[in-house]
Parts: sequence; C-alpha cells; structure tokens
Amino acid sequence: MSLLAKYFPNAVTMKGDFLQATGETLYMTAITAIVAGIIGMAIGIGLIVTQPGGILENRVIYNILDKIVNLCRSIPFVILLAVIAPLTRIIVGTAIGTTAAIVPLVIGSAPFYARQIQNALAEVDRGVIEAAESVGSGPIAIIFRVYLKEGLADIIRSSVLTLISLIDLTAMAGAIGGGGLGNLAINVGYSRFETDVTVMAMLIILVIVFAIQLIGDLLARHVDHTA
Amino acid sequence: MTNEAIIQLKDIDVTFHNKGQTVEAVKKVSLTVNRGDIYGVVGYSGAGKSTLVRVINRLQRPTAGSVEVNGQNILNLSSRELRTARTKIGMIFQHFNLMASRTIADNVGYPLKGRLSHEDRKKKVAHLLDLVGLSEKATDYPAQLSGGQKQRVAIARALANDPEILISDEATSALDPKTTSSILALLKRLNKELGLTVVLITHEMEAVKEICNKVAVMEDGEIIERGDLVSIFSRPQKPLTQDFINTATQINQALEKIFRQAASLNLSESQQLVQLQYVGASTDAPLITELYKRYNVVSNILYGNVEILQDTPLGNLIVVMSGDPDKLVAAWQYCQDAGIQITHLNPNDSEVA
Ligand SMILES: Nc1ncnc2c1ncn2[C@@H]1O[C@H](COP(=O)(O)OP(=O)(O)OP(=O)(O)O)[C@@H](O)[C@H]1O
Ligand SMILES: [Mg+2]
Repeated sequence: MSLLAKYFPNAVTMKGDFLQATGETLYMTAITAIVAGIIGMAIGIGLIVTQPGGILENRVIYNILDKIVNLCRSIPFVILLAVIAPLTRIIVGTAIGTTAAIVPLVIGSAPFYARQIQNALAEVDRGVIEAAESVGSGPIAIIFRVYLKEGLADIIRSSVLTLISLIDLTAMAGAIGGGGLGNLAINVGYSRFETDVTVMAMLIILVIVFAIQLIGDLLARHVDHTA
Repeated sequence: MTNEAIIQLKDIDVTFHNKGQTVEAVKKVSLTVNRGDIYGVVGYSGAGKSTLVRVINRLQRPTAGSVEVNGQNILNLSSRELRTARTKIGMIFQHFNLMASRTIADNVGYPLKGRLSHEDRKKKVAHLLDLVGLSEKATDYPAQLSGGQKQRVAIARALANDPEILISDEATSALDPKTTSSILALLKRLNKELGLTVVLITHEMEAVKEICNKVAVMEDGEIIERGDLVSIFSRPQKPLTQDFINTATQINQALEKIFRQAASLNLSESQQLVQLQYVGASTDAPLITELYKRYNVVSNILYGNVEILQDTPLGNLIVVMSGDPDKLVAAWQYCQDAGIQITHLNPNDSEVA
C-alpha cells in the first residue's frame, strides 16, 4: 500500500473518483456496444447480402450503405463530437454527460463495426453459401445459419477490435465532458499536473482492454473449428 | 433406366457480361436425362460444364432456353417454389463446401432443420451417416476429416432431403484415384438402391467409364458428342472424344511408347502396325489364332487392353502383323467382316488415331 502511495500520491486519495470514472467508462462502452453493435451488425449484413454477387444483390441499397459507412468513417471523432451536439441535445436532452456521449460514440463506432462485420462475413466461403442454396435455404436461413454461424470466430475477433477502439473513443468523449476515465486523465491528471492520476487512468484502461482481448480470444478459439 | 425424362434442358444459352467482355459459356445446349441415368458430362476446363449443370437448379439463370425438372418449369418458379424444387436436386462440389463451424452430424442435418422434428432429424442423420459409412465421425468437425470422408459427408448432406437427382460437379477431382473409385462406387450404389438419377461432371473419362451409362462431351460451351457409354467408347466421332477415351484407356501412353520405339521395330514391307478394336464377346486369342491359321499372318501383340463398360467388353489391341502383302489384305478384310475395327498406325505420324 505504501508503494502505491509513493508512486501514486494523488491517485490514492481519489479512490471514489476512480471507481466512478471506471463505472462511467464501462457504462458508455456497454451501452454504445449494444446500440452500435446492433446497428453495425445490421449494416454489415446488409452490405454483404446486397453486394454484387451477394444473395440479395441490390446495387442501390449496397451503394447507399457503402456511402454512409464511408462518410461516417471519414469524419474525425473529435469533430463529430462537436458537429452532432445539437442532434444529441434532441435525443437525450443535453449535450454533456455520460449518456449524451453515447450518441456520438454510436455514430463513431457503428460504421467501423459495420465494415468489420462485412469483412468477417466476406471470409465465409462462397461455395458454402452455394451449398446452402442448393439444399433449399432462403436468405434468412443463409444469414443466420450460414453467415453468422460460419463467420462467428471472425465476428468475435472483429467485435474485440471494435470494443477496444470504442474504449479509445470513450476516453476522447470523456475528455470533452462525457465523464469516465478519459475525463479523469485529462481534466484532473493533465490539467493539474497530477501525472500519477493520468497514469493510473491509463493503467485501468489497459486492464480493461487486456481483459476484453483475453475473453475475446478465448471465445474465438472456442468457436473456431477450422484447424 | 426407364425412358422417362427427369431433366430436360432445351436450347440453353448462358452469356456472361463482365466489364465489357462477353463470355458465351453455354451455347444452344439441349440435354435430356432420364430417370435412373448416370449421365456423365466431360470436357476440359472452361468448357461450360459447371455453368450448364448449375442451370438445372437455377443456381445459374440461363440467358435463353427452357429448363424442366421433374415436369416442373424451373425458370417460372417463385423463390419459395424454387427452394422446394431444390430440395429434390442434391448437389456435391469439388471442394466439398462443408461448414467448418458445424460437426459432421450438423452438416448433414443442416437441410433438415425446420423440416423435421429434432428426434426425426437425429434418426435421419444417423441413417445418412450410416449410408455413407461415417457413423463414428458424427461429432467430429470437417477439418478433422480426409478429403474422401469430407466428400462422403457432402453426399450425405445432399441426400438429406431425399432428392431424386444428384448433381456432382467435379466431386472427385480433388481426390486420389483410390478414394475417387470409392466415391464413384458409392454414387453407383445410391443410383441402384435409391433409384437416384446422377449427373456427373468431370474432366476425367475414367470416372465416366466406371459408372456412367450415358455421356456428353462438351467443348467451348457446346455438346459436341453424346450417346450411351458403349457406343461413345467404341465409335467416338470427334477427335476430342477420342482424346478423352485414349487418356482413360491409357492407350495414348502405350502408343507414345510404341511410336518412340517404332524406328527400332524396323517394320518391313510385309509388316504392319495396326490397332484392333472390338466390342462384345470376341476375345483376343481366337482372332490372332484365326489370322495365323487362315492367312499365315503372325500378330505380335504390343499392347492389349479390355474395358468392361456396362457389362460389355471393349477390347483394344496394338499388334504388328507380318505376312505376305496379299495375305495381309485378306486378314484385314477378315477382321472387318468380324466387326473388328482395324486402323493402320503410322509411327511417323505423331497424331494419335
Ligand atoms: N460468373 C461468371 N462470370 C463470368 N464468366 C464466367 C462465370 N462463370 C463462368 N464463366 C466463364 O464461363 C466459361 C465456362 O465456365 P465453367 O465454370 O462452366 O467451365 P467448366 O467446364 O466447369 O470448367 P472447370 O472444369 O474448370 O470447372 C469460362 O470461360 C468461365 O470463365
Ligand atoms: Mg466447373
């Protein structure tokens, strides 16, 4: 304990703040992951099935989805935060705070996840899809019983990647008023020159990231039967 | 092998447009397959075989033509009706196309989900695995199986819906000869026991030779020759067909060796290098004996081969005949009268007969 006090003189006095900030980060991450996960998954599947040669090939829908994803992904997150503040105010009633941060976080991460899903599902062998078609499977069956099942290991890996980048985004959102560990690191640690607070925030984020990575890898390996 | 048509393709055209390029993969092809047939479709890579058979279950929509399967016009079906129709047309592929994330039992049971109760599905899967001889692999994953075993799983999956037709698109092309034989034997057995109609696509005439009763040869999107197996093998009309047959009977290799040695054979005026081909029960020995007894013509056998196609023997002999020139002519005539095809081989002409 004394060691902790020696190297983290300010941080040890802020146990409550850290607990709250960690909770906020996890809250933002979890809610965003669920909402962006559903949206990103839907768009990713939409891209795969409507792409040229897909099971529900549709040039118009594919192009619209593709453009939306590209557009959202090319806006830097910091700018996105500012730009959509009015929209956020409409949806959650305020543009600051943890819940308000979820709106830009969703918009920032859903397109990224959609691309990840699209890439993961693109790995599913075209021949396997064809085999499913040849035994009489329709589009719904192929999506749920072939694409999502065959692509599961890759989907888990993509989800891990997205979650980690999402935590990165929560830190950024936090820094401009969203709360969480990012807020603590910047507005307390950095602004007051209490470097140990910044470092502690970083360490907690690293632990969260490693935990996600570890669980993700285990899960992916569990469902992967390709080798 | 009744004469009831189960698949009728009429004037099928399939044209692909790709970045300004037009590929006519299938041109004006008509094909009728009868119930109980094992119909072979042979051709080199790019001939249009896959494209043609994918038209049968509308995995490929033809640019023109009509497709009738089991009395149903496949091209007019709604997507729901098409799905039902597809359950009666099983398909197996060169690369097996199994789902890596599912166990063998789950792969085989995949087509049955929602069609049978859990219990019935389990029973059916067990029965299918037994049929292809893989009962003990039920809980394994495809990655743990050999190529031949994977193809057996694919066959079991293709049979899950009790199809009446099985389309095999190069299903043995990735397998070694022994495994190929066992898969072909399995198809033959299914044909006999279940009355399954098989369309077998391949680039190897050996496979056709083993199990098919009919064969069509494709080149550049067209069927250039077709007929029942024995007549195609005994009297091929097109050079390409001959080529496929020669490769299958390995007569090409024999001829190559013989021609290479032709110089050392030192054929004189009174000697002829000939190929004798016969269909049916006549055997080599009496013919050779007869030629000697009647005409004093000595036949030195350089190569001999008998194929049994559909229970009909098909013989091939390459011999050097020696005798008086006029006797040779008489011997030649005798062979022709006996219904034996006799061809003069010219060693200097590298083009194989
Ligand atoms: N989806 C497609 N788009 C464009 N061209 C195609 C397509 N499918 C096939 N082709 C072309 O059609 C021709 C016939 O192809 P197909 O696959 O039917 O040949 P194949 O006889 O099955 O050959 P292989 O023995 O190599 O499988 C080829 O020239 C091929 O490039
Ligand atoms: Mg092919």
